[in-house]
Amino acid sequence: MWTFETMMHEPPGWVSAAGPRSDVILSTRVRLARNLEGSSFPNRATDEELVAIRERVLSAMAGSNYLTNALFIRMEEASPATKRVLVERHLASPDFADGGAGRATVVGEKEVVSAMVNEEDHLRLQSIRSGLQPVDAGRLVQRIDCELERNLHYAFASDWGYLTACPTNVGTGIRVSVLAHLLGLARGGRIAQVLGSVSKLGLSVRGFHGEGSAALGGFFQISNQTTLGQSEEDIAYTVERVAGQLAGLELGAREELGRKHGRRLSDEVHRAYDVLSNARMISAEEVMEKASTLRLGVALGLIDEVDLGSVNRLLVVTQPGHLMYVHGGEPTEAQRNGARADLVRNELKSCE
Amino acid sequence: MICEECNEREATIKFAEMTDGELTSWNLCEECAREKGAAASLSSYAGPLVNILMGLLEEAEEHGPEPSGPVCPRCGLSYAEFRSSGKLGCAVCYASFHGELKPLLRRIHGTTEHTGGVPSCREREFDSLKEVKRLQSELGRAIRNEEYERAAELRDRVRAKERELASTAGTDAPGTAGGDGSGEDVDVRDDDA
Ligand SMILES: [Zn+2]
Ligand SMILES: [Zn+2]
Repeated sequence: MWTFETMMHEPPGWVSAAGPRSDVILSTRVRLARNLEGSSFPNRATDEELVAIRERVLSAMAGSNYLTNALFIRMEEASPATKRVLVERHLASPDFADGGAGRATVVGEKEVVSAMVNEEDHLRLQSIRSGLQPVDAGRLVQRIDCELERNLHYAFASDWGYLTACPTNVGTGIRVSVLAHLLGLARGGRIAQVLGSVSKLGLSVRGFHGEGSAALGGFFQISNQTTLGQSEEDIAYTVERVAGQLAGLELGAREELGRKHGRRLSDEVHRAYDVLSNARMISAEEVMEKASTLRLGVALGLIDEVDLGSVNRLLVVTQPGHLMYVHGGEPTEAQRNGARADLVRNELKSCE
Repeated sequence: MICEECNEREATIKFAEMTDGELTSWNLCEECAREKGAAASLSSYAGPLVNILMGLLEEAEEHGPEPSGPVCPRCGLSYAEFRSSGKLGCAVCYASFHGELKPLLRRIHGTTEHTGGVPSCREREFDSLKEVKRLQSELGRAIRNEEYERAAELRDRVRAKERELASTAGTDAPGTAGGDGSGEDVDVRDDDA
């Protein structure tokens, strides 16, 4: 049974690492932006209008065959901890979660399908999947969109397609993105060159670089940059193809790393595992860094005490909002670091 | 260095985005960086992107006439307000600022024509519009080639299609076109006779 409690206590379905190319691609996300004809976009609508729009969208969604059992969370009723968990799971954006009246988050079973109502647009419908699945995820959101469209009259212009609050989303309103773990390329020093060529294919790349070369785990997001002038299928296919090639390069870089520095890498991976399974206090940054190293080790077969799914799960459930929800109230940083270390140890113990 | 997002805390992380081979980066504190998340909502940076693009456009048309530009009659948003926020106020804004938005869309997307999905209730209208555009370009070609008989015939077909469109646009009730069928309809044209 899919309940609010299950959602809050169980990690999302996409962490399973069951999807294709999960060794490199953590997750795929596809979202559609839609607005109702005849209503102001959220940034220019009054509170009463926003509430009316929300109820119209929610009642259409309640009738969807793909959203049976979905949770309808009206944001003014959500606790601060719930809001943070939604943000950390990518089910809500930070501004949206803290925003005013008339907003709602819809969460389908195992978080495969979800939606934000009255974020920047009236409806942001999305699907998050495990591994590399842009085409499949794109088909799913389009099917749901077709179903909703029987009850919702969307703002659409014959020349410019679906009309959105920001002109960067107009046309298809589709954003297809994958979260890739490219630690091998980052360690091998080829990341800038590879991502540079990806960005020339009309895709945008985002990631974090800390003081060290790959301090924040070598995670990068690749997504389509434009939404007008191509079909939804073509956009999803392009992201799938390019991310697939990127995964191939990453696997090559990992293999080379294993060949050249096998002993050193194996030492590093086991040390990361030891820290995670023994620490009594640990920060979110350290978990991310160590889990990233561990992930590489699991993928290269250097360690078999854990699997990819457990490492993915660590990355999700150790975030501050999740700890805040489990702990209750506002824990101090020291309390959070303690609770996080306990959680990580339990997680690793359970997969031995 | 101070965080470029909150302007409060010390910036320790460089957030980078690469577009068309060009690197843009922001210096962020850990907290803001985490909020942006490696997979955070793209919309948070869409605003600045539009501003940058419009900054470029503004330079090009420095000697533009009125400062506030047109105003949307439905929601009251002025083009100047859009320029500073990067967000439109309603669907009618797209028609109200059509002339201004067209070059902007070309700059953002490289094109100004939607070729993706269409709501099923609008499919027929959309097809007719495409057909009008096709006939019009054929008409232009016929005139250039001095095929006047063919041009006259094409002109009549364009007019007929446009009349047909005008009559359906008024009764634009949702869900009138097509039932639950799978959409692979045979293209029936009855205007050849
Ligand atoms: Zn900051
Ligand atoms: Zn308007």
